[in-house]
Amino acid sequence: MSLLQAILIGIMSCTAASTIACLGTTVGNYTLNRPLVASLFVGLIMGDVSGVIQIGIPMQVMWIALVTPGGTVASDLRAVSYIGIPLAYVGAKAAGLDLGGDEAFALSSSISAMTGVIGITLFYGTAMMNLIWQHYGWAQLDKGNLEVVGKVDALFPLISHFVLSFLPCTLLCYYGSGAVATLFENLSTDVWYVKAILTVGSVLPAVGIAILLKSVIDKTTDLLYFLFGFTLAASMGLTLIGATCIGAVFALIKYEMSMAKLGAATAVVEDEEEDI
Amino acid sequence: MKKISKKTLNSSFWRWWYGNLTCFSHEHMQTFGYMWSMLPIIKELYPSHEEQCEKMQTYYPFFNTEPQIGCIVVGITAGLEEARANGAEGIDDEMINGIRAGLMGPLAGIGDSLIVGTYIPILLGIALGFAEGGSAIGPIFYIVVWNATSIWFQHYIYFLGYNLGGSAVELLVGDRATAFRNAVITMGQVIVGAMAAAWVNISTNIVIAQNSEGVDITLGQKLDEAYPKLLTCVFVLLCWYLMAKKGMSPVKCLLLMVVVGFVGSVIGILG
Repeated sequence: MSLLQAILIGIMSCTAASTIACLGTTVGNYTLNRPLVASLFVGLIMGDVSGVIQIGIPMQVMWIALVTPGGTVASDLRAVSYIGIPLAYVGAKAAGLDLGGDEAFALSSSISAMTGVIGITLFYGTAMMNLIWQHYGWAQLDKGNLEVVGKVDALFPLISHFVLSFLPCTLLCYYGSGAVATLFENLSTDVWYVKAILTVGSVLPAVGIAILLKSVIDKTTDLLYFLFGFTLAASMGLTLIGATCIGAVFALIKYEMSMAKLGAATAVVEDEEEDI
Repeated sequence: MKKISKKTLNSSFWRWWYGNLTCFSHEHMQTFGYMWSMLPIIKELYPSHEEQCEKMQTYYPFFNTEPQIGCIVVGITAGLEEARANGAEGIDDEMINGIRAGLMGPLAGIGDSLIVGTYIPILLGIALGFAEGGSAIGPIFYIVVWNATSIWFQHYIYFLGYNLGGSAVELLVGDRATAFRNAVITMGQVIVGAMAAAWVNISTNIVIAQNSEGVDITLGQKLDEAYPKLLTCVFVLLCWYLMAKKGMSPVKCLLLMVVVGFVGSVIGILG
């Protein structure tokens, strides 16, 4: 990987940090930070869009829902997206794996978990560093300087991003890619420890789905709805859009039942939320 | 009668949309984003610097919620601030912060489960389907659909909150809202089931017998005949149980599964 490529990936990582992205929540965290979207941009930088997207797919599956309740994160995806994806791509290429194959899938999952842990450090580091700007902000507010809030909120955190996103991502991509390539060049998928890493990679997506499951299950009996969707998909090949339609039927029934209970005669689905 | 101009409201909205979490710390999560967003409104409503400083203090207390659905809270306080500047009775620091504090928790619950836990995974799931084989259509679909719908939605609820003021609270924490949330969550539960079956694939190759032609029959095959993808289902439920019922953190669960996968492969149970 050239230094320019590493720098571009480093810049992307700043725009996209989980929660604290310098392009905001909607565009930064929930768009550029998602591994699937990141793989498009890393692909453009590395010059192989379709290859990198194939590497990005398993990483996205693992972190399909990343809820950060009260600022505690399971992982900061900036490290998965902008350290994990480029390095996994370099590694899979060097090992000569079929990028769309099961082995590349499992390899990406394993790397995704490891880089996710790096991400947590970056996340807490950035949040800690932002304390400096906030303390400066409170001091200025006491002096009646109201304009400081804009600088504290949007300008100074860029320094945190430079130190805790740009530098680690750029350096790890630049120096790490050579090391990863050498490591994977002579990789044989028949060795026991390589097999073990690939098995780990096939187990890990279960954790990602379970994190998502946790965010939608209120009481244990709700698991029956989960099993319902699982059975239809596993046994009858129901697709995701199909599952959305079937889920919507249950949602409507449930809504109308609760409205009937409340004594509201007209059960019209409110459109106060995004229509799905 | 003082009236906040459309331009100022828009500027307040975009500041929140962009800056709600840019200066996140664990001490004051979204406080600075909130203050930055309220600043243009305060400056327009109150001409003197002393008054501006005084009114800004209303927004010093801690604030944190799911920021996208949280747009409506900023809209509500914009409406309340306008009413206060016009001398409406009963609107003071305590009342505004009561509403803010009262909505933070319920809205975080709605936003996390509906937007982050249901809507985004569905969009990503559809995008993953389009991306199969490395097609750029997948990510492009997600970028366009997510940003268009979510920015429209946030802009809409900001102005909804502004127009409704304090009466928006009933809309958000009332029975109808709870019924709506619970209904959508049910849809999410069915979809997560389908996602688990589509994307996770855990199997075992333990040989339990050989058929008449001498081909190995594995335990995995037999289990799948009883219930397709049984082992996958068990693993997802196990991880859910550890995190939801045993309070294990996602990172610990992840590390545990690394160990389980590694050991399972070495002793030949998994893989």
